[in-house]
Amino acid sequence: MTGPPLRRIAYGLFVLAATVVLALWPILNHDAYKQNVILLAFLIAVIAVGWNIISGFAGYVSLGQSAFVGIGAYTAGVIAQQHGWQWWYVPLGGAVAAGVAVLLGAVVMRVRGHSFVILTIAFLFIMRLVATNWTSLTSGSNGLSFPLARYPREWQNTPFYYALFVLLVLSVLLAWSVRRTKFGMGLIAIREDENKAGAVGVSTPAYKLLAFAASAIFVGMAGAVYGYYLSYINPDGMFDIVLSVQAVLAVLLGGRATILGPVLGAGLIEFISEAITLEPGDLVLTGTPAGVGVWRDPKVFLKAGDEVSEFLEQRRAHRRSAQAGVLDLRPVGLPATPRVVEGNGAGGRVLVEVKHLEKRFGGVRAVDDLSFSVRQGTITALIGPNGSGKTTAFNLIDGLMRPDSGEVWFDGERIERLRPWRRAHLGLGRTFQITRLFGEMTVLENLVAPLREFRWRQLAADAVAGHEAERAEELLDFVGMHAFAHERAARLSFGQQKLVELAQILMLDPKLILLDEPAGGINPTLIERIAEKIRALNELGKTFVIVEHNIPLVADLCDPVIVLARGTCIASGTAAQIQRDPLVLDAYLGEGWTVEEAVTA
Amino acid sequence: MTDFIQVLVLGLLAGGLYALAASGLTLVFGVMNVINVAHGALLVLGAYLTWLFWRRTGADPLLLILVTTPVMFALGWVGYKLFVQRVRGAPAMSVLLTFSLALVIQGILGEIWSNDFRTVITSYSNHSFTIGSIVLPKERVFACAIAIVILGLLWLMLTRTWLGRAIRASAENPQGAALIGIELGSVAALTFAIGVATTGAGGSLISFSSFFPSTHYLWISRLLGIIVLGGMGSLSGAFVGALLMGVAEAMVAKYVPNGLAWVTAVPYMVIFVVLLVRPRGIFGAWTREDVATV
Repeated sequence: MTGPPLRRIAYGLFVLAATVVLALWPILNHDAYKQNVILLAFLIAVIAVGWNIISGFAGYVSLGQSAFVGIGAYTAGVIAQQHGWQWWYVPLGGAVAAGVAVLLGAVVMRVRGHSFVILTIAFLFIMRLVATNWTSLTSGSNGLSFPLARYPREWQNTPFYYALFVLLVLSVLLAWSVRRTKFGMGLIAIREDENKAGAVGVSTPAYKLLAFAASAIFVGMAGAVYGYYLSYINPDGMFDIVLSVQAVLAVLLGGRATILGPVLGAGLIEFISEAITLEPGDLVLTGTPAGVGVWRDPKVFLKAGDEVSEFLEQRRAHRRSAQAGVLDLRPVGLPATPRVVEGNGAGGRVLVEVKHLEKRFGGVRAVDDLSFSVRQGTITALIGPNGSGKTTAFNLIDGLMRPDSGEVWFDGERIERLRPWRRAHLGLGRTFQITRLFGEMTVLENLVAPLREFRWRQLAADAVAGHEAERAEELLDFVGMHAFAHERAARLSFGQQKLVELAQILMLDPKLILLDEPAGGINPTLIERIAEKIRALNELGKTFVIVEHNIPLVADLCDPVIVLARGTCIASGTAAQIQRDPLVLDAYLGEGWTVEEAVTA
Repeated sequence: MTDFIQVLVLGLLAGGLYALAASGLTLVFGVMNVINVAHGALLVLGAYLTWLFWRRTGADPLLLILVTTPVMFALGWVGYKLFVQRVRGAPAMSVLLTFSLALVIQGILGEIWSNDFRTVITSYSNHSFTIGSIVLPKERVFACAIAIVILGLLWLMLTRTWLGRAIRASAENPQGAALIGIELGSVAALTFAIGVATTGAGGSLISFSSFFPSTHYLWISRLLGIIVLGGMGSLSGAFVGALLMGVAEAMVAKYVPNGLAWVTAVPYMVIFVVLLVRPRGIFGAWTREDVATV
């Protein structure tokens, strides 16, 4: 995000000026109505900025975000009614909202897509029903009254204005720090491809729960302030789905996954809403731009300044790499020794052992009593006809699926029940048959996204920095993709993506690398380059298991070769041995072929 | 015991009507992977249209189905071409878009006809059939019967006609359907229009009980609960889910203390429990996810 300095300075000055004007507003202008409008815009902005963390960064679209306003307001209201107002009800409201958010996150952990949106709507309405029906605590639909504020009347609503202003600044700072750290990088990885994020070592549950908390905490606080400001709250007003939609709309208008976009959008929304104050008209006005916003461009409607400069930067990078790409097509000589790749000691001992593994899909036994082992330092091939269970075996080894029975041992540890990121931390890396890079991230970001361990402190570390960034650049050099470092991954060709994915998992410094059809669907030059890289890495002590249909490549590269058919291992040995094995010929060519026929045919 | 049977029967009668209302929603989801959150609002719009025609002409709502269904069909077609087409393939955005359509419809209805309760009253309103000690309100019996007849026609259309097969083919495998010469765009538009047309008939049938613009929240949550319960995209699942939902609401209203206050919670509870415990619904089959094309 190193945009042109002038543009960035201008943008920074604009933000600074806007902040100063908003900070001085109540002193300069005493119009209560205008103050009220800005105050409501602050509220929507806080909700929008929070929504952006869980939905813009992490990709979990929620329509229940305004429930946290209600939770914060009711937390403060219930206590204030009995004990009078204290300022610390505000952080308490935020804490309760964050707690509920984490609880919600834990409960809906495995739900995605449509189902998640529906669940968040259900969550909002259940909260409203609880507030309505728990009359002993909330007075139900009669609502709650806050004690009257005790400061001089001529201050008007200034204290509430500043409280929400401060909360807005804090929540923007939170979003900003999330965006530039490992935490934000992990969330974006989750948005782009959650399973893949797990496979490269991102502990997705911890990230998601934190994101839930981060998206709710300031909204809860704002809710407490807002309730006190209104001085009277009721369930329908506090758990209002229209407020959620307004916040979502604010983010869409201002730019999804941007830092200041939601704030800008919130200002616009509140301004538009105030243009007509009739209740039904208000709904039309909320609905129409939301519809138009999505309709025009499901992704982003209007981008905030910092994203514009990022966009321009990417355009330039694209042009640069397009030029570099021409040079890059020349055949590559011997690979530069990647000194950042660490060796993994002497070979010979068993690194992976699969015992009696079984996985069923309905009536289909994709993997059926599969046993084999892989020795350290080898390039082992896993071949077999389509549907013989090769990719399923990979999924069971790297943790995308859990076996119905059987064991997987890796480096002396039993791993078949471990979650994918735990296995990545142990030293297991895996590429996919159809590459799964994080499409919206740059190539370089893709490389620094993998995590070799999970530590809480790490979440606060800079996303792209230091030793790690250097390592990433060297690995890009190694696979010959350095020129594309700042390109969005989705723009690369399939073969280029395969190379980047290989570099990506090398960031994990894995002991074992599972490659799913590294040569599938790419041109011969790139196949040669990938084969070279595999050999070079193997010489450094990396162990490979390769699923591949390109038999000449397998024969050239791999020893031993393991053959699967109908989910089980039917043969193993050197490529030459395998090619003469009658069982293997049978599996590939079908029964009824005799060995003689097959050989002569 | 009689009490229980009475509640059960009323629940089933409501469920039959719910089934018709849910059929369009689940059909649209099954074919185009879009949850039309505006479905509830369209249903209420259908009810308003019925009420409007009834007030002008005094015609029976059951007869007005013949008017509201084509009107809503046309509206569905236009709505698809103008809005929904653009957000296919973006699940979350399609929810947001259709939700905003719901808000717009709610706003317009409120602007034109205010937020007062409306009901259609017929010669058989407040009349009932009685079997033993079981009381069956005539309106509900007629509504349920006609809903089931329309569902039967819809089912015949889906299983016996070329269009129906094309619709089911594009639901199962869009690429494959396109390869064998099915024009996906037209089929999708037709499906959406048919889905919305059911809100015309459904709207006429729900006009017997009182409604106002924001009744659509109640309907959409109930219908979402039903299709989640039955397995999203499954028509037969939606039918069974609707009957269960009707009975569950009736039972909660009758047997849970302060039950009327909690009836509206039933769909949300159903959604939560089903999506968490068995996300494919009670009738949905588990399929391999790793080989599914996105």
